[in-house]
Amino acid sequence: ETWRYAFEEALNEVQGVFAQKFKEEVEANSDHEIQLFPYGTLGESADIMEQAQSGILQFVDQSPGFTGSLIPEAQVFFVPYLLPQDQEQLNEFFRTSKAINEMFPELYAEQGLELLTMFPEGEVCMTTKEPVESPEDLNEVKFRVMTNPLLVESYQAFGATPTPLPWGEVYGGLQTNIIQGQENPMFFIESTKMYEVTDYITCAGHNNFTTAVMANKDFFDGLSEEDQTMVNNAIEAAFDHILEYQQGLHETSMEKIKEAKPDMTFTVLDEEQRKPFQETASSVEEAFVEMTGDSGKEILDQMKADLENVTK
Amino acid sequence: MAVTIFSIMVVLLLLGFPMMIPLIIGSFVGFYTLFGGFGQLETMVQQMMAGIRPASLIAVPMFIFAADIMTRGQSAGRLIDMVMSFVGHIRGGLAVSTAAACTMFGAVSGSTQATVVAIGSPLRPRMLKAGYNDSFILALIVNSSDIAFLIPPSIGMIIYGVVSNTSISELFIAGVGPGLLILLLFSIYSYIYAVRHNVPTEEKATWGERLRTTQKALWPLGFPAIIIGGIYGGIFSPTEAAAVCVLYAIFLEMVVFRELDLHGLYKTAKSTGLITAVVFILVAAGAAFSWVISFAQIPQQILAGIGIDQMGQIGVLVVISIAFFIGCMFVDPIVVILVLVPIFAPVVDNVGLDPVLVGTIITLQVAIGSATPPFGCDIFTAIAVFKRPYMDVVRGTPPFILILLCVSAALIFFPQIALFLRDLAFR
Amino acid sequence: MSKQHHESQLQSQTDTTSTDDTDTGDYKSELPGFLGTVDNAISRIESVLLAAGVLLMALNTIANVVGRFVFQSSLFFSEELNRLLIVLITFAGISYAARHGRHIRMSAMYDALPSSLRKPLMIAITLVTAVFMLGLAWYSAQYMLTLYDRGRVLPSLQIPVWIIYVWAPIGFFMTGLQYILTAIKNMIEKDIYLSTNVLEGYDDDEVEI
Ligand code: NA
Ligand code: NA
Repeated sequence: ETWRYAFEEALNEVQGVFAQKFKEEVEANSDHEIQLFPYGTLGESADIMEQAQSGILQFVDQSPGFTGSLIPEAQVFFVPYLLPQDQEQLNEFFRTSKAINEMFPELYAEQGLELLTMFPEGEVCMTTKEPVESPEDLNEVKFRVMTNPLLVESYQAFGATPTPLPWGEVYGGLQTNIIQGQENPMFFIESTKMYEVTDYITCAGHNNFTTAVMANKDFFDGLSEEDQTMVNNAIEAAFDHILEYQQGLHETSMEKIKEAKPDMTFTVLDEEQRKPFQETASSVEEAFVEMTGDSGKEILDQMKADLENVTK
Repeated sequence: MAVTIFSIMVVLLLLGFPMMIPLIIGSFVGFYTLFGGFGQLETMVQQMMAGIRPASLIAVPMFIFAADIMTRGQSAGRLIDMVMSFVGHIRGGLAVSTAAACTMFGAVSGSTQATVVAIGSPLRPRMLKAGYNDSFILALIVNSSDIAFLIPPSIGMIIYGVVSNTSISELFIAGVGPGLLILLLFSIYSYIYAVRHNVPTEEKATWGERLRTTQKALWPLGFPAIIIGGIYGGIFSPTEAAAVCVLYAIFLEMVVFRELDLHGLYKTAKSTGLITAVVFILVAAGAAFSWVISFAQIPQQILAGIGIDQMGQIGVLVVISIAFFIGCMFVDPIVVILVLVPIFAPVVDNVGLDPVLVGTIITLQVAIGSATPPFGCDIFTAIAVFKRPYMDVVRGTPPFILILLCVSAALIFFPQIALFLRDLAFR
Repeated sequence: MSKQHHESQLQSQTDTTSTDDTDTGDYKSELPGFLGTVDNAISRIESVLLAAGVLLMALNTIANVVGRFVFQSSLFFSEELNRLLIVLITFAGISYAARHGRHIRMSAMYDALPSSLRKPLMIAITLVTAVFMLGLAWYSAQYMLTLYDRGRVLPSLQIPVWIIYVWAPIGFFMTGLQYILTAIKNMIEKDIYLSTNVLEGYDDDEVEI
């Protein structure tokens, strides 16, 4: 059988690397074939999600940030400083978290989706025109964010002026100074050339971009037990592969940026500098609970407990 | 499947069906073939909606609106009178000015459709009056507007840069050379055309007259000032500039020149909406059709058959040019870039081609494809705005397409046309 | 020169060949009695929606610029509102365009046919077009129901996504209806009609209704 798998990034970006590994595993261990559809070839994030829900696509990769309009609880991944900042702990977190491995699958199932896995894509860093060492430095900075209420809340709490801008206009917007900053994982800053139009990259450890791979639930339930195991094993293998791939990705991307633009300034905020950013988290948490109610609170509390478990 | 669908579409098109119908029926047939019935047609509707979703599309109705207000009122006339007082005595001067204006407007607005409207609607009547043939005028406007793809900012180049992991700044600079070369060749052709068809010239204006026309054009000269100042001053994006132009046009024609009343504004807005709808339903239907092509992996199937792996650099560039040219004849340029670039990426890498050169060539092909029949957004826009039959709009196209194809051939054999400025700036 | 110059300037001030003077005030439905009244009313509503959609889009976009640049605060719903307006304009417009025979077609081969062939062909074209428009009306209504069930919301406005598509099934339906009426008109009348009250021929003069 031919299965179709769509994702939100290009083939050579993290989601694409995961998808290629998954394809390789499935095709090596079964007679099934997988067709990959990178960003834009079947529509945007919301489109491919709907196509997976209707069963046109068997597999889809959508980041919880986008899923937030369908499953509000998924926005929990935008609450700053909720994920471990250390890579080892982060990997452990994704493997063991009860919220991710037990609670979210139920929420996704209600939308006709089998949540196969969630994995981190890399620490989110800010690229700006001026140095950022404290929230004061973000004052009056028009900062491009996705149109997500919690992300808006976060950057407001950081002191910036969150500004929506369609992704296609971000590069030009930074060039002409409509906006003065945007955030993304390092590999994405590199691949989308955002460093060409900004001068400072600052990592405050506030978030790690998380994404999720799902299958159409009817399709998955209809698979033989053997195939289900095969798919899960392939996901497992791709998950391990991506964590390993991640190990040096942040640094490799930094090297590439340095090579292309030697005068780029990289800053990693130390714990002292992170504190004022960290203190804003509670207001974002409040906004999240207000939006999502008891069910959201439950997830949030569990995420915190899961965090505790891996950091202690 | 592909052959069947394309044949059906061309036949329906020739029979005189509304243009959306071939695209819609093509999609229906595609969905039926792919899913063995109409069970998944909701996705076709989804993709039609996705086609008219991009935020940058609103530049089209906004520039149509602004241009319509300017043309109904005095702004456009005063601007053109000024230009004419400087170039009216030169043979082909108006045509060359039109091409240059399209290039400049395209450079800042980044939208080819908006350029067709904003430059075309005021200048076409004046060119007609000056004695140019309508099919020459229409082809000149449509093709000159497509230079906008090559001159920064270019959404096509941004998408290519992201998909192929290529420096967008380098792409932007590399597009300038070919863009200006095309403008130069279009100008030469316009001059030859004017001489051969004996287009009359006006008497040379005195400097006093030029001063007078310039004074009268002072208010309307605010348009370029606002657009360029606003975009490069970081006040608004090129898309938003369109809406700001609407505001300024309303201000000029309602307050300063008092040429437009509220009823006129209403009528203009309604007519803008009508033209927008006629073009956007085609954009929507085209998006659904693109989805079918992409989902069925038709490009992959076709390219697998031609043995591109065995080719050298020139061969690969030729295949890429042809593939993008044909793709853009039927499908939206952005989708073509998203679908085809990843397919070609490994080959481009293997033969060691400069991705900036490849990007420039692809952008040029995309520009050519958008102005090439049968399907092309800029053709549709010209038909809707100027209310000319399809054949009138495309009749004058061949010489322009020929020039564009020559430039793409030149780019393949003399890459320095694109890379010279890039190397100067970055190497 | 100065006289010619003066004339050309006058001309440029009044020349509106590039624009569309379709005026609803002049639209008179060809339908009899009560149906005609309804048709006129629908035409009126469509044109008001078109004009309002375009004006609101300009207003909304400018408000966002002013908010961001002057007040340091963007309108987050601006983009979503524009999406709604684009759908509104497109789908109110396609039926309005069908009513006025303004949809783009490539008529070169068609025009070359004798009128004895053009008539049946035009009836076939309008009927086939009507069928697909009504089909799309049906499937877009289905699509909205599906979106309704899934409950996805717009991130900023926090309203259900299906609301912005509400004009699609209506617009497709009204367009289908226009094409059916045109087919009937062509069956009854001697002349060939592009729409219920536009005779074929693509001249500026004839299209300026
Ligand atoms: Na441009
Ligand atoms: Na084309």
